[in-house]
Amino acid sequence: MSVKYIPVQWNANKWKYDAALIVAVVAYILIYMEVGTPAAGLERPLDNLILRMRAFGTCAFWMLTFILCIGPLARLDKRFLPILYNRRHFGVLTTAVAFSHAVFVVSWYFSFSPTDSYVALLTSNLSFGQVLGFPIEALGILALFLLAILAATSHDFWLAFLSAPVWKSLHLLIYPTYALVVAHVALGYLQNSENQTFAFLLVGAGLTVAGLHFLAWDKERRVVAATTDWVEACRPEDIQDKRAVIVALSKEERVAIFRSGNSFSAVSNTCAHQGGPLGEGKIVYGHVTCPWHGFSYKACNGRSPAPFTEMIPTYNMKLDDGVLYIDRQANQPGTDVEPVIYEVADNG
Amino acid sequence: MTLIMIATWYLYAGAAVAVWFVLYAIGRLDENAESAWIFRPLLVPGVLLIWPLILWRCTVLWRGEDKLDRHRMPRKKQDRAAIVFVFAIPLILILAIGLRQDPSDLAGPIQLEAPK
Repeated sequence: MSVKYIPVQWNANKWKYDAALIVAVVAYILIYMEVGTPAAGLERPLDNLILRMRAFGTCAFWMLTFILCIGPLARLDKRFLPILYNRRHFGVLTTAVAFSHAVFVVSWYFSFSPTDSYVALLTSNLSFGQVLGFPIEALGILALFLLAILAATSHDFWLAFLSAPVWKSLHLLIYPTYALVVAHVALGYLQNSENQTFAFLLVGAGLTVAGLHFLAWDKERRVVAATTDWVEACRPEDIQDKRAVIVALSKEERVAIFRSGNSFSAVSNTCAHQGGPLGEGKIVYGHVTCPWHGFSYKACNGRSPAPFTEMIPTYNMKLDDGVLYIDRQANQPGTDVEPVIYEVADNG
Repeated sequence: MTLIMIATWYLYAGAAVAVWFVLYAIGRLDENAESAWIFRPLLVPGVLLIWPLILWRCTVLWRGEDKLDRHRMPRKKQDRAAIVFVFAIPLILILAIGLRQDPSDLAGPIQLEAPK
């Protein structure tokens, strides 16, 4: 038994997040139009259409850049976690902005000939054999198609229906999408060598995204534990009360060690509902609570309270010389495990 | 023209799958979707775009062939994708910057004589 799907799971924080996003997008476009007109030397009324197209295009690019920074930033520093949880709404809004850019492009550059706009879009430049002058329209169309897939499959239902491995593999398309967008801009507007500021910004954005991904990958590579049965996790004092520390047992497996007062329990970091990161949640009313949808489990056996039936694996732990160790071998989901008791000096 | 025609037929097929999937199939495949109707229109764009994948998943679920580790994220795959990405982005930028033309190399505009 679980909860029924609803269109959008909003709460007070998500309302604020979405409102801030929309205000930021509207402000960016208005400022771009206001500042960009004299800066680009575009003063005729018609030039506004070109500027509007650029405003939406660059806005979508910055949004996508920011989205791709959120994941590695959250892995590098927990303070970025709050912006991770509503990333799906961010992605959907980015797709809408990118789609607006595409509509403005088609309605401006391809609307004044007897040829159908879409035929003209696909056939006006067919120089696929050369890099300079490559049809950047094709790169943009493909990126928009992939973005649309990501946005259209962002509802919780898709994660459950496709299963986590398939859904996540599908959403790895964000990487080729960003590469296509970078190529679309780099082989397009970047070739306007008079605008050095934009060149610096584009290169800076691309290298920042790539650099953050490398740092996050390198950090995870270092924390994957050695190949012993008992894996050194952390000191009990390192865990805040009602919170958890996440430990990587391997590339695929993560464990969340929760502390409730002086009691310590380890469960799988993956929520059985939608694969949410349990270790980023907290203990609420005595239950481990998933930060994504509030699904909860007893820390001592990984079982959801009745009438729910979801279960997650538990792990045996031991305390040795003031350090918590986790048994690499997971217990069957729902297995009772005696918590480790340790008197923590600072009970905060 | 051929590409546009293929895309159009792909979407028509997706629309047919969407009607069947949204009105009939999901209520039988996911207990959390039973009698939950309001969210279903949100699924239509997704069905239009990835309907072959949906048909495959329906087959897997109906045959009971779904894997037991269906909640486990494919972290190794993500790591590999991220590493390719880390190298691809600078490569694209270096290539594009290398192709940039110096404005001083470009000839200025020439005013042509009016035809006589």
